[in-house]
Amino acid sequence: MSLIDNIFDRSIPALTQGLDLFWKRNQAITSNISNAETPAYRAVDLNFAGQLEKAFEGQSANNLLKTNGKHIDVASNQRAHLVEDYSGATKGDGNNVDIDIQMGKLIMNSGQYSQGTNLVRKKLHMLRTAIREAMR
Amino acid sequence: MFNAIEVLASGLSAARMRVNVLASNVANAETTRTEEGGPYQRRDVLQVARSVSGGGFDSVLDRVSLARPSIQAVIKDESPPKMVFKPGHPDADENGNVAFPNINVVTTMTDLMSASRLYQANVTALETARKMAQDAAGISIRF
Repeated sequence: MSLIDNIFDRSIPALTQGLDLFWKRNQAITSNISNAETPAYRAVDLNFAGQLEKAFEGQSANNLLKTNGKHIDVASNQRAHLVEDYSGATKGDGNNVDIDIQMGKLIMNSGQYSQGTNLVRKKLHMLRTAIREAMR
Repeated sequence: MFNAIEVLASGLSAARMRVNVLASNVANAETTRTEEGGPYQRRDVLQVARSVSGGGFDSVLDRVSLARPSIQAVIKDESPPKMVFKPGHPDADENGNVAFPNINVVTTMTDLMSASRLYQANVTALETARKMAQDAAGISIRF
């Protein structure tokens, strides 16, 4: 793989797609936290449906994400969508939000988002370094 | 994109309303006379979830929608008041019993604490959403 291929690979589009998914998941988690005391509210979560794996598919030469490149991933034919979240026990008022689980998910998700933005920034930084070096 | 913040603002407002109502109950736990007559009646909030769209074309695939909490109404507890024998009290009836609000201060205080924690949880989530937006903006600022 040449340097140019290395810089203009599919990782930035894939990462931005990942960031969109984490942002959407954050919306689902915040909806749960806000409604932690709303009677009859059912928690929601984002089903990535293989969209994240698909975004990075075929990017690396040895296709690390699958044991075999010819394997058909049924889930990858879908796009991410919101689904019911059954992780918490349903309370007497019909609400099943477990605030501790949701806060944990919130931190995990925002951490992943932060990592994603850092990777995009580093990738762009590499590009800038390459351009700068060429100007010398 | 700013759906999360809109939802959290509703969450904050609902939690604050809940705190206000509970505080009113604690403050009036011993109030025997009101403008509409009789003792103070315990207030409660009727909170409902209003669905908001996940935003964007992708939300078509969603099986469920996001929701923001909303206080639909403040309702009065119509249960009978607590009768306490206090002869000589200006509000005592002919048997010397005074009608006090049917409020359990201990449970109201625990409800108040849980409402305050919920408010904090909303603030934390809001702070996280803000940080994520800042991270996204940071890509262009400091690459």
